[in-house]
Amino acid sequence: MSERPLDERIDELVVGLADEAETEALEALCARDPAVAARVERARLRYGALDDTADTLEIPATLWTRIAGALDAPVETAARVRENVVDLSTVRRQATRWRATALSGVAAALLLAVMLGWVLMATPQPSVIAVLLDAGGAPVALVEGSVDNTTRVTLLERAQVPDDRVMQVWTKPDDDGPPVSLGLLAEGNSRTLSLPGFPPPHANQLYEITYEPLGGSPTNLPTGPIHGVGQAQAPVY
Amino acid sequence: MTVARSCETSQHLTASGPITYLASADADVPCRKGTCDTVTDHASLLQACASGDRSALKTLLDAEGGRMLGVARRMLRRQDLAEDATQESFVLIWRRAGQYDPQRGSARAWIYTILRNRCLTLLRNAGREELLDPAALETASDSATLETAYHRLDLTNDLRQCLETLEPDKRMAILSSYVLGYSHGEIAGRMGAPLGSVKAWVRRGLLKLRECLS
Repeated sequence: MSERPLDERIDELVVGLADEAETEALEALCARDPAVAARVERARLRYGALDDTADTLEIPATLWTRIAGALDAPVETAARVRENVVDLSTVRRQATRWRATALSGVAAALLLAVMLGWVLMATPQPSVIAVLLDAGGAPVALVEGSVDNTTRVTLLERAQVPDDRVMQVWTKPDDDGPPVSLGLLAEGNSRTLSLPGFPPPHANQLYEITYEPLGGSPTNLPTGPIHGVGQAQAPVY
Repeated sequence: MTVARSCETSQHLTASGPITYLASADADVPCRKGTCDTVTDHASLLQACASGDRSALKTLLDAEGGRMLGVARRMLRRQDLAEDATQESFVLIWRRAGQYDPQRGSARAWIYTILRNRCLTLLRNAGREELLDPAALETASDSATLETAYHRLDLTNDLRQCLETLEPDKRMAILSSYVLGYSHGEIAGRMGAPLGSVKAWVRRGLLKLRECLS
């Protein structure tokens, strides 16, 4: 299929003849390559004139009520995604409170060291492992997820992160749900991340690292180029 | 995983009252009703949606909902399903508004892509035959819908001019996929032709159209 001319594949996508797998493949291609996205956009605009040939129907009075009702309906996964947003103002307030206490920097550092040690020692055996591959198929990171939702991310090469970007780790706890941020690799180094409140990772769960604006994705969904992506497997012990 | 670029700017709402997002000379600046062109500025509305402004979604529904319902009705051919598809599309537009990037394309095309994908998914999942009452299955009414769509295209429109250069049955096959959501299999079924040859034949039509349009 993929040996067919890209223009032909794009046309079939736009007129609605592409099947689901092909649609996903092309959408992934668009996300990686703005030039492809621009070609798809051009094709959409060409055919878009046909949308304007449909009748303009009267909007039923109930439609807005139905839409607004659906917006109000709780979306479990989306709500959890929002909980996962780091509110910087809260963090700053907490930092001020820290300073306000009599704890010296040394004591705080000691506490952090102890906590870090505890977190590292307490990390159980991974229940899933994913090898993330870059666009060329080369392995760039190893992801080990544990039942307690700690996720060890080991970078397998020094990533060429643009100066104004940071690596952000994502997963899809629910295959059909939105991607959820596991956290940032702000230093560009390997890290253990924790994501409480989600079901334990499962085989075939998707993991991804993208380059996001500093501070992380502004939409809390992946927006940037993909560093690596892979599906988890359950290791055999 | 859906990856889309975000829009990094958001609309700032003033405290002095609701703002209607209408196009102006400077499309980035929202303006009050009556002070500028009455063309809806879809991009600003999407940005307002991304920042949580529900009135922007309502404005979008008022401006575009009737046409979207028409597009959905044409593909799904049932008023209740068309309303469902339009409703679901507006919920998706609200949820994904933050992923729309004005740098990457037209806001209106982005909105219609969501709607068309929603309709196609409904068609493919349910199976067209299940969706339809037998009376609507008349091929004749499909042809009439396609003829209407074709003739409503402006004569100066590039797509119209290029469609005109195609043989009528190729033209109708391509129109039936875009306008009615026909799959390759459905086109083959209606024509009584083998699937493989219909695929190749439609591709030749698309190629000719592409060459004409470029």
